[in-house]
Amino acid sequence: MSGGNIMSFEGCNYFRQRLILSTLSGKTVRIKKIRSKEDDPGLKDFEASFIRLLDKLTNGSNIVVNETGTSILYQPGLLVGGKIEHECNTQRSIGYYLEGLTCLAPFTKKPIHAVLKGVTNDQIDPSVDMIKLSTFPVLKRFLGTDEGLELKIVRRGAAPEGGGEVTFSCPCRQKLRPLQFTDPGKIKRIRGVAWAVRVAPVVTNRIVDSARSVLNKFIPDIYIYTDHYKGSQSGKSPGFGLTLVAETINGAFLCAENSSNPKGSDKGPSVPEDIGKETAKLLLEEIYKGGCVDSTNQSMTALFMILGQQDVSKVQTGPLTPYTIQFLRHVYSFFDVMFKIEPQQVSEEDEDLRTGGEKLILTCVGVGYSNISKAVS
Amino acid sequence: MEEDGNQKKHRKRQAGPKAEKKKAKNKHQQELTPQQRNPKAFAIQHAQKTAKLIRRTQDIKTKKQHIPLVDRTPLEPPPIVIAIVGPPKVGKSTLLQCIVKNFTKQRLANVQGPVTVVSGKTRRLTLMECNNDINSMIDLAKVADLVLLLVDASFGFEMETFEFLNICQVHGFPRIMGVLTHLDAFKDNKQMRKTKKRLKHRFWTEVYQGAKLFYLSGMVNEEYQKTEVHNLCRFISVMKFRPLQWRLTHPYIVVDRIEDITDPETIRQKPKCDRKLSMYGYVRGTHLKNHSMIHLPGCGDYSISDMQSLPDPCPMPDKEKKKTLHIKERLIYAPMSGVGGVIYDKDAVYIDLGGSHSLKQNVEENDEPMNELVASLMNVNNPLDQKMGTSQMTLFSNTAPITEADIKEDSEADDEEGTARVRRSADFNDVAATNQKQEKQTEDLVFDDSDEEEESFNLFSNSVKNQTVSSSERTGKMEESVGSESGSDSNSDSDDEETSSKKLKLSRTTGDSKTANSSEIVGANVTLSSSGKNVDTDTPKGLKSDNSNSETEDSDDDMEEEEDDENEEDEESEEEEDSGEDISDEEEEDEEGNLKWKANLAAAAAESFKKRQTERINYRKLIYGKVEEDKEGEEEDDELGGLFKVLKKKDEKNNPNISANMTDSSKCVPDKLQSWELEEIQDLIKDCFVTGNWDKSEDAKALLEQDDELFGDFEDLETGEIHHGDGEDDVDDDEENDDKEDDENADGEPSVRKKTKAEKTAMERRMEKKKKLKELFDNEYDMKGDNEFYDNWKLANEEQAKLNRAEFENMEDSLRVGYEGFRPGMYVRVELDRLPCELINNFDATYPLILGGQQSVEGNIGYVQTRLKKHRWYKKILKSRNPLIISLGWRRFQSIPLYSIQDHNFRNRLLKYTPQHLHCHACFWGPITPQGTGLLAVESLTGSEPGFRIAATGVVLELDKSMQIVKKLKLTGTPYKIYKKTAFVQGMFNSMLEVTKFEGAKIRTVSGIRGQVKKALKTPEGAFRATFEDKILLSDIVFMRTWYPVEVPQFYATVTSLLLPPAEKAAWVGMKTLGQLKRERSIMAPPKEDSLYKPVERKKRYEPTLKIPKDLQKMLPFKDTPKVLKAKEDPYKRVAVILEPHEAKVNKMMKMVQNLYRHKLKSDKMRMRERVSKHQKEMDRIGVIKARKQKQVKKDIYRALGKLQKKNEKYKKD
Repeated sequence: MSGGNIMSFEGCNYFRQRLILSTLSGKTVRIKKIRSKEDDPGLKDFEASFIRLLDKLTNGSNIVVNETGTSILYQPGLLVGGKIEHECNTQRSIGYYLEGLTCLAPFTKKPIHAVLKGVTNDQIDPSVDMIKLSTFPVLKRFLGTDEGLELKIVRRGAAPEGGGEVTFSCPCRQKLRPLQFTDPGKIKRIRGVAWAVRVAPVVTNRIVDSARSVLNKFIPDIYIYTDHYKGSQSGKSPGFGLTLVAETINGAFLCAENSSNPKGSDKGPSVPEDIGKETAKLLLEEIYKGGCVDSTNQSMTALFMILGQQDVSKVQTGPLTPYTIQFLRHVYSFFDVMFKIEPQQVSEEDEDLRTGGEKLILTCVGVGYSNISKAVS
Repeated sequence: MEEDGNQKKHRKRQAGPKAEKKKAKNKHQQELTPQQRNPKAFAIQHAQKTAKLIRRTQDIKTKKQHIPLVDRTPLEPPPIVIAIVGPPKVGKSTLLQCIVKNFTKQRLANVQGPVTVVSGKTRRLTLMECNNDINSMIDLAKVADLVLLLVDASFGFEMETFEFLNICQVHGFPRIMGVLTHLDAFKDNKQMRKTKKRLKHRFWTEVYQGAKLFYLSGMVNEEYQKTEVHNLCRFISVMKFRPLQWRLTHPYIVVDRIEDITDPETIRQKPKCDRKLSMYGYVRGTHLKNHSMIHLPGCGDYSISDMQSLPDPCPMPDKEKKKTLHIKERLIYAPMSGVGGVIYDKDAVYIDLGGSHSLKQNVEENDEPMNELVASLMNVNNPLDQKMGTSQMTLFSNTAPITEADIKEDSEADDEEGTARVRRSADFNDVAATNQKQEKQTEDLVFDDSDEEEESFNLFSNSVKNQTVSSSERTGKMEESVGSESGSDSNSDSDDEETSSKKLKLSRTTGDSKTANSSEIVGANVTLSSSGKNVDTDTPKGLKSDNSNSETEDSDDDMEEEEDDENEEDEESEEEEDSGEDISDEEEEDEEGNLKWKANLAAAAAESFKKRQTERINYRKLIYGKVEEDKEGEEEDDELGGLFKVLKKKDEKNNPNISANMTDSSKCVPDKLQSWELEEIQDLIKDCFVTGNWDKSEDAKALLEQDDELFGDFEDLETGEIHHGDGEDDVDDDEENDDKEDDENADGEPSVRKKTKAEKTAMERRMEKKKKLKELFDNEYDMKGDNEFYDNWKLANEEQAKLNRAEFENMEDSLRVGYEGFRPGMYVRVELDRLPCELINNFDATYPLILGGQQSVEGNIGYVQTRLKKHRWYKKILKSRNPLIISLGWRRFQSIPLYSIQDHNFRNRLLKYTPQHLHCHACFWGPITPQGTGLLAVESLTGSEPGFRIAATGVVLELDKSMQIVKKLKLTGTPYKIYKKTAFVQGMFNSMLEVTKFEGAKIRTVSGIRGQVKKALKTPEGAFRATFEDKILLSDIVFMRTWYPVEVPQFYATVTSLLLPPAEKAAWVGMKTLGQLKRERSIMAPPKEDSLYKPVERKKRYEPTLKIPKDLQKMLPFKDTPKVLKAKEDPYKRVAVILEPHEAKVNKMMKMVQNLYRHKLKSDKMRMRERVSKHQKEMDRIGVIKARKQKQVKKDIYRALGKLQKKNEKYKKD
């Protein structure tokens, strides 16, 4: 209706953020100069796949990509949801798509039941385990309950060839709840999943042992599940990895993960012990950063905070990741919402407590967003 | 025993003081409730009845509950909008004037537009009069908090009144107060009372039972009676308001002042050019954000180009404790009205209200101008500033013009510099620096260039953007600061310079894309912070980004250097790798190195963390500061882009940035982990775990102690023992001992003092304990019950409301607005661009001008499905595809709805017309509006038709970009060949393809035999084989029921009533219906051939005889057998008789004789008839004569008799 509602961007970075925010805000987005100076210009396959997923998820959206794929115009439609089946491109893992999906899922017309096929674990994106362990608890706080919120790993497929399959279902809501979560509390336990596909089952045990060797100094309550997939459930490429999550007494989940180098990578094969130790250290790093949401979920939390009612939402985080910072900028340009970001004031009594790095308090007022797709009777 | 028996029994005293004493002592106290004493009496005797009773009480209870809403009312609310509504000539203006006069003691002569007055210590009112136009009524109903509905009692309710009430119902019911006027028109007192009662009850049924209805009896000096108006005003000023859903979620402004700030020169050149207007008003509803989408009802959709808050023109009185308002505090603000004799004018001359208190106001507020002239100048909206701001100066023909903004930016940049310097702490990666020596020279050169020659350089260069001035200057400053910092640092200056220059170079190669730039910085931050060795530096990073800006811009000049740059890029990437290797080398070294080195490292790391903790990164600047600057830059680009090629070149130059095209992942993997093997590092997160130390407030040990203090000691009531908590034990024991000692020793004063002190603390403790116990008890028992859920919900909402209020309370307004938006109650100035000139040219203050804020999604359009009901008072039913004017959300628009009804299988079936008294679905192409919003439809806006204008009301159900509405389609065909149960059908489809689409579809014959489409046949085209459940006939018609999707027309036109000239404002005409067009052009609908009447031609029907088979007949009972007896055949006739000639002769003779005889009989009969008729005639004649004779005789006789009688009488007389 109003032609002035077009946002223009350049470059392929933060591609998902832009499309997601565009879908939610209803503003048209034009992205130009996508890899225009590279040898292989234009959209990559995984981005095209993400667009296709968005197209399946929405009704009436208009996507125009130019011939070389260096420029795209996206006019969002309304989110529909329902049953979706998507063959995710194997250049990126399912996490890449799933992150986008979780941001949109609460605002669909019908609850989402998505079947995603592709790479479940790789080194670039958060894996499905990570999303299940750390994103879902955050999502649950906004939805109210975790009824109908489910992520099932039917088949596990490691990079590069994939062959994994997950089912994701999420209920939709008319409105989200405001979030007040500034005290994560202390970590009471560490859980994790050590997985392996198409390698010897003993690999998982080796990972677990090495991870425990690092973590045992901090807390005794550690349990790492070993998850070895066989036969048809094991995808097409060999691989193994570990996802660790630290749960606090107030229900914050800090997650870290690592996985083996994909088959045929120039870094050579990985050693399970290294993976275990590395992941444990990553988790400690994450704990050092701290916060009520871990670094991967900062942007999603921020998104749901502004898409709530016109109430103040507060959340404590560790230092903001570049991805989050860019996301906050995008949020500002799409929704005109600024976040108040302040370092958390530590009371004098607690100054001597050694709880890692500086924490931030993110505060914002929701824009009064409501799900316009869902039908009322 | 006997003795016992003999002994006298004790008798209790029945009276006297002793007895009374005893009675008082043993007073019977009922410790049990009746229910406990006699549970049977309270047992449930009738289960059904009780269930019903409980259900009923629950119903009543639940009905009272409302869904708890978060209280979002602002601390200083905007004035309450009061709409004065009624048909013409009912006394609206008079009432408005009276109300204003009541509050301000002033009489307004000519009221136009909204009038804001201070009504009390905590309340202001904005009064608006609604003219008799349905557009105005709709708009006002959406913004009014209170409606004064005026009714002419001498006439009764008019259509407008009911129309307005219905509009209100749809758009959230504001408070409505009825006012009856013209009561002096009644001569008869009783008549008046009756009318009042009738009107009151009618009003109640419309609004609610017991709604307030005011009576304004007569006029005094053209005004209503003072006391009555005063009472009315008191009612208004204590009225409470319910929050309305739409207004809670949408900000809006009732514009009370409007200015045209377009450049007068452009108007002179092009009178019809798009205008830039500034509008003023209080923000209402909820927070309004700058640059958000708004809708101007009656005009269209726009986005706010700029918005500022202004000092309140009609501020709330001071919060002093006073009973009444001082006369100076009774302010009035009505820019559109002719207040004080000066009339609002298009050239934005507005003069404040004259009189004593305006002067006072001037004195109070220094900002206010001292006289009217200055005031008028002020209200031209800072024209000088504006012009200065927009004016541009071009120094050289090819340079970009310099605007005021540039200069401003400069100063801003300086400011930023000042702040940025505080958070600086310079420490660079030495390793990276060492590799850079060869580049130092060139870099420094570039740097110096920008530093020294900033001004002249910019002015002379062809390819300079405005911003360059500022940014280059900034870089200069930065460098200075770097220098100073490094001077203080232990590192050598040159090294530092090198590093900085290297950073510059780096950032240049990575480019300064608006988005990627700073993210990169932070990425770097993270990596730095994670590597324990580096004492982190955030500010240099910030610097780097800033510098990079300038760098790139500068580098525009030296286009020829591009190649060099590329080379450098390559080099640098190598260098980066190098540095990475170095780091890893170092790591290795670390591992290899001795323990001492290691310890040092750990200490350094710990120190760095501490430092980082103390440091404060200004995230706001980091995230948003950049964005704002970039935005400005973009705007400038837009402005100048068309004119100057330079900018385009620059854009191209900017483009090949790597970061804009980096991998996009939310996972933030630190490049280098901290060395978690080290104890020191491990200790940093020791307290993150439950095994670590806890806060004082949460520490289990401390809490336990505290609990002991509160709950540890208790008194066993039965034994009278006192138990003490562990924590207290020692003390108490001591105390007890002391007490004992005291008792024993009977020591004097000190013991007493001690005792009192102990007692006191004990008392206090007990009190505290009791309090806590009570709280616990309350929590456990009070909240339990049916209301627990509801109460918890309410509590949570209250807490949220408290947080909402408290969060930004102490913040400066300019900052706060950024986070929250402009909160309700603020007086703001809103600038809008590209408004049609008609809005201001045809502006009429009597029409309300509203800025309705909305979410950006609500600016889109799609299919809106609504539940709709034709209004029962509307005379016609509505036809599908007839355009309808709909009021939905803030908007009024025309669209073409399709009506449908939902079948049981959720199929939406098209309806040609709306049902008379039923809800139906209406689907139209319109603005996306949240579900549950009410809507209203009218067929025409003009009030020319006498009837009720509101055609339908409804509510939004669903929004989508496609709609599935179907109508029934019957396909028919005829069988042309029939086998047993198979038939070949033709005429239903046109091609084989069509048939294949319908394979397996259900078909049916008219006689009800069901079947299925099987397969297409080759010939004839479109024929198919079908099977049926029974053999069908050739004469049968086969048909198939299908559903055909109907497209909803994509027509959407905003009602632009505000743009029309004043005379036509009330008569906006949009798309006309087909009927209207035909009527206008007197086109008759061509009649259908089939509908024409023709003479009926009926074929004669041949009725076949009923034949009953013989077998059946045999089986039938005799009664039912057809009794068609064969006529007995003449036995003789059967034989052909050949007569003899003689016999034939005889026969012939006999025949002749017979014939003769017959003829004779016949002629005899004829003769007889003739005779009889003759005789009859004769007899008649005789009869006539006879009658005549008899008559004569009778005559004679009577005459004789008469004579005789006369004679007798005469005789008698005589």
